[in-house]
Amino acid sequence: MKYISYAGLLLLLFFIPFISRQEYMIHILCLIGINVIFACSLNAILNIGELNLAQSAFMGIGAYASTVMVMRLHLSFWIAMPLAMLVTSIVSLLIGFLTLRFKGAYFLLFTFLFAELMRVLLSNFGVGLFGGIPGLTNIPKPSIHIGNLVNVDFSSKVAFYYLIVSLVVFTIIVLRRVDKSRIGMIFTAIRQSDVLVESIGISTMKFKILGCAIGCLFAGLSGSLYAHFVGIITPGDFAIHSVFAPIAYVVVGGIGNVFGPVIGTAALMMLSNFFLRQFGFFELLLYGIIIVLIIRFMPEGIINAPRLLFSRMRKS
Amino acid sequence: MDATILAQGALNGVMLGLSYALVALGLSLIFGIMRIVNFAHGEMFMLGGYITYYLFGVYGINYFATLMTAVFIIGLLGMILEKAIFRPLTNRPEVALTSLIAAVGLAWVFQMLAVIFFGEQDKDIPTVFKGIIRLGGLMITWERFAAILIGIGLVLLLNLFLLKTKFGKAIRAVAEDKEAAALQGIQVARISSLSFGIGSGLAAAAGAIIAPIFIVSPSMGGEVILKAFLVVILGGMGSIPGAMLGGLVLGFLESYGGLFFSVPVMSVITFILIILILIVRPQGLLGRE
Repeated sequence: MKYISYAGLLLLLFFIPFISRQEYMIHILCLIGINVIFACSLNAILNIGELNLAQSAFMGIGAYASTVMVMRLHLSFWIAMPLAMLVTSIVSLLIGFLTLRFKGAYFLLFTFLFAELMRVLLSNFGVGLFGGIPGLTNIPKPSIHIGNLVNVDFSSKVAFYYLIVSLVVFTIIVLRRVDKSRIGMIFTAIRQSDVLVESIGISTMKFKILGCAIGCLFAGLSGSLYAHFVGIITPGDFAIHSVFAPIAYVVVGGIGNVFGPVIGTAALMMLSNFFLRQFGFFELLLYGIIIVLIIRFMPEGIINAPRLLFSRMRKS
Repeated sequence: MDATILAQGALNGVMLGLSYALVALGLSLIFGIMRIVNFAHGEMFMLGGYITYYLFGVYGINYFATLMTAVFIIGLLGMILEKAIFRPLTNRPEVALTSLIAAVGLAWVFQMLAVIFFGEQDKDIPTVFKGIIRLGGLMITWERFAAILIGIGLVLLLNLFLLKTKFGKAIRAVAEDKEAAALQGIQVARISSLSFGIGSGLAAAAGAIIAPIFIVSPSMGGEVILKAFLVVILGGMGSIPGAMLGGLVLGFLESYGGLFFSVPVMSVITFILIILILIVRPQGLLGRE
């Protein structure tokens, strides 16, 4: 039953470009896909019990790494993208090693500082490489050419859409594998009570760093995709404020569950792009209110709401 | 570099440091009682600034009356937030994470409300205390001198309140050990509401003191909460002398750092410095183990 619904969803995603050939629709779906990957990475850090405000800075590292490799070193996108993921993950490993020894608000503060630091560094240092405050423009779109057989040019939105959908599926499969493994169980245990985990002789620090590195792989992936999809990146794109909407996506969907961020991102971004666009600041205000209300009244997120409602009904 | 510039820098450092310390004290107080970090605390500072702008700047009400009103209104707001949002969260698992997310969300809500109701532009408040004091070659504006005096006065008042009054003693008892305090008949819920109110009021006071010297803007809370965090980390969570020391260190760092380094270099230096301090003394300079 479960697999049938997965297959149905995939078929639907596959046929959407045939049903609607509206450019705008496909464009929004691509952005939703990129944000789903990003929200998944944010969720991976929340899963070890920490809120990382620098997650969009890590997305920025992925975006800049990928772009610099493609534009300055003339590497192919298909090599630059995995390398960008690795670079992001390695940077997060170093930062995690320094900062994950601190918990809660202390960690949050470091990530806040780190996000600011990245913005300042990218705007002021290595201007020749990173383009300074105006950032990098005309980032080329990827393409595949294998002999005369396969010729796919991803400058078409529909082709990019399929690329993003397949990478979203890849992200979910990998993170679900991790979640179901022994390591994933330790992550959940750390989130629920790190003292308890330490008490049975597991080094929480080591697993927290690992969780952070895994999450940041996908932050790098979303950054690389964002850069090549949108075609222009600036340091401001990855500044601290850009992490707030994704926090709302994850919280609304349900922290810890792999599908939570997927549902949250899709629901809120659809709502925002098709209904709320014209409200400007009110849209952001609404996200803030949604975060507070969901945390206060439905901390498990919408993904667990039907189950909770069901069990409550059975009890009464 | 001549002595006047250095002395001027020192005075600016003291003034900035005191305002950071006031915000940090509230943050520290709330953490001490409820074990949550109120990321929206900076927005209380921002709202204090806006109340000053409207009451004093626009309607010309007496400055000290404005200051008191700001403390009172924002203190009340803090108590409402505690009751409506934070206290229910403390009864649930994963409170550290959920309260942090709720506070970040709240900070955002207040910032957006400020943009919508007060506008994005910076607001300028007329000078409260005009004139200049001359000491040899040194020139201090009355405005900054008064800010320092009011700041010191507020810290002394808080200290007196915590050390001498019944409520102050109860607050310290709850911060020390919640269960033991409850066993003594202290109503923990009332104390946490009270400290949330006092903490928020202190932030609003800092906003009302700083606003006439600089400008008021919707983003000022987000900037100051960062500084307040640094102060708390430097000084140690829950320590009043620590917050004062941390505030002064940060104030001096900023006022002298600006003389020698550019902004990007400063932010790199701050980041590295904070990590180093925390690695050597995780409990802060004056904090206890």
